[in-house]
Amino acid sequence: MVGPNNLLYAVSIRSESTFKRFVEVGRVVLLRSGPHAGKTAVIAEIIDHNRAIIDGPATGIPRHAFPYRHLTLTPFRLPKLPRGAGSGTVLKQLTSEGIVEKWNKSTWATKRTAIEKRKSLNDFERFKTFVAKKSRRDVVRKSVKAAKKA
Amino acid sequence: MARSKTLSPHVGRLSRSQVFAKRGLHKGQKKSEKLAVPETPLTREVSVGGEKNGSTRTVPTSKAPRYYPAEDVRKPKKSRKTIVPTKLRPSITPGTVLILLAGRFRGKRVVFLKQLESGLLLVTGPFRVNGVPLRRVNQAYVIATSTKIDFEGITIDEKINDAYFAKAPIKGRTSAEEEFFAEGKPKEKEPIPESKAADQKAVDKAIIAAIREEEYLAKYLKATFGLTKGQYPHQLKF
Amino acid sequence: MTVSEYQVVGRHLPTEADPNPKIYRMRIFALNEVVAKSRFWYFLRQLKKVKKANGEIIGVNVIHEKKPLKVKNFGIWLRYDSRSGTHNMYKEFRELSRADAVKSLYQDMAARHRARFRSIHILRVVEIEKNEDVRRPYIKQLLAPGLRFPLPHRVQKSRSTFVAHRPSTFN
Repeated sequence: MVGPNNLLYAVSIRSESTFKRFVEVGRVVLLRSGPHAGKTAVIAEIIDHNRAIIDGPATGIPRHAFPYRHLTLTPFRLPKLPRGAGSGTVLKQLTSEGIVEKWNKSTWATKRTAIEKRKSLNDFERFKTFVAKKSRRDVVRKSVKAAKKA
Repeated sequence: MARSKTLSPHVGRLSRSQVFAKRGLHKGQKKSEKLAVPETPLTREVSVGGEKNGSTRTVPTSKAPRYYPAEDVRKPKKSRKTIVPTKLRPSITPGTVLILLAGRFRGKRVVFLKQLESGLLLVTGPFRVNGVPLRRVNQAYVIATSTKIDFEGITIDEKINDAYFAKAPIKGRTSAEEEFFAEGKPKEKEPIPESKAADQKAVDKAIIAAIREEEYLAKYLKATFGLTKGQYPHQLKF
Repeated sequence: MTVSEYQVVGRHLPTEADPNPKIYRMRIFALNEVVAKSRFWYFLRQLKKVKKANGEIIGVNVIHEKKPLKVKNFGIWLRYDSRSGTHNMYKEFRELSRADAVKSLYQDMAARHRARFRSIHILRVVEIEKNEDVRRPYIKQLLAPGLRFPLPHRVQKSRSTFVAHRPSTFN
C-alpha cells in the first residue's frame, strides 16, 4: 500500500525510522526554484503530501504554500515550533536557536556560497584565480618533492 | 490619379474608394486660391520672309520633341533607405577590454580605443603586450568584458581614422610571366612602414602605462581566451 | 486558469404586475465573470421562473478568502451526471481557500470519474472547523499530531549523461 497507510506507519514508528530528515513542522528547508531559490525557510504547516506552508521571516521569504518537489530538507529544525505558528513565533524561535548562523556555517551553505561566488566572477577575476591556483599547485608540488627526498 | 500609382496600364494600385478617401473630399473641397501663373499662349506669330509665305506664321511656343521612346522604359525604384550610424554597445567604452572572436587574432584580449566613422571599433593589443596591432574590428565579433583600464587623460591621434587603414595602391603590375613563375614561391613580405610602427608605439605608450597600474592585467591581456569543460558562454559573466 | 468564487446578484425585470421583483443572490465558483453570470442564469432558470431574456444582473463581485494563509479542511457536497446517471457526493479537501478546494475538486472529479465542469454542480462548500468532524481518512491522516514523513527516493538531476557514481536517492 502506497500513500496514506505508509504515512501512518511512518508516524507510529518514529523512533525506528532509518530516515534522518522528515517533512515536519519546524523543518528548515532550502528552496530550489522560484523567486526565492537558494534561500532557507521553515515549514510552518503541512498542507498535504505535496505542499506545505513555508515561512522565512529571517531570510525575507513571505509565508506561502510551496511544493516539496522544489525544496530540499536540511538537517536543521525548530523542535518546539507549534503547528501553524505565525511569522513572529517562527522568527523568535529561529533567532533563539540560531538557525541562520548554523546554516551559514554549515559545509553545505559555505559550498553553495563558494559556487555562487565563482559563478559571479568576471573574465579578469577568473584569470586571476587561475593564476593563483597555478601558483598554489607549484608550491604544493615543490614541497611534496622536497618531502619525498627527505 | 496621381495618388494611385499604376500597377500595370489602366490598373491603379488603389481602388476607387481608396482614391476617394485619399482625396479627402469628405473634408470639403479645397478653397485656397491658386497662384496666378502668367498664361503663356500655345502659339505665337512669327514673321517669315518670302513673298508667297504670307509674311506671318503661327508656330507653337514650345516645340514638341522630335524624339520619343518607342518602348516604355521602367524608371528604377528610388531607395528610401538612409544610412544610420552604427550604435556602439553601451558596454563598450574607451578602455574596455574586448575579446576578439573572429579573424587572425581570435581569442585575443585587446583594449578598445574609439569608434571610427564607419562604425568599426579601433583596438590595440597593445602590440608589445600581446602582438595585436592597431586594428579595426566589427563590434559583432567581439565580447565586451567588464574589465576597463583607466583611460583618463589618454587621447587617440585624430589621424588614425578609416582612411589610415586604407590599402596603399599597388605600384606597377608584375608581368603575367613573372606571376606565373612566382606561383608556389613564398611571397616576399612587405616591410611595415616606419610611420605606422611609430604610430603604434605612440598610441600604446600611454595604454601600457595604464595597464602597468594593475597587477596581472598585462598577463591577462597576453593570455588568450578559451572555454574549458563545463563552461558555457551564455552562463559566464564577462 | 484559477477558479474564483463570485457573488452574482440578479432579478426578474420589473413589470407592471410586479414592479419590485425579488432579488436573488448566488455564490458561484467559476473561471471568470462571464462564466459566473452564465452559471447564475443556468441555475436560476431551473429554480425560478426567471431567465436571461426577462431578467437582469445587478452585480457581480469576487469573494476573496478571509484568511488565505491558514490551512483549512473543506467538505464539499456535489451532484454530478455520470454517463449512466446522476449521483450525489461528499468529498473533503485540505486547502488554503474555498476556491482552491473547488479547483482541486474539479481536478479530482475529472481524474477519477472523467467528469467535466458542465456535469458537476457544487451544492455546498463548508469549512470543517473541528478535526473530529473530518470524515475521510485521506484528510484525517494529515491531522495526526506530530505528523512527519520522509521524502524518499529523491533523484538529483545530473548535468552529464555519464557519471562515475550512482545517484544517492536516500537522505
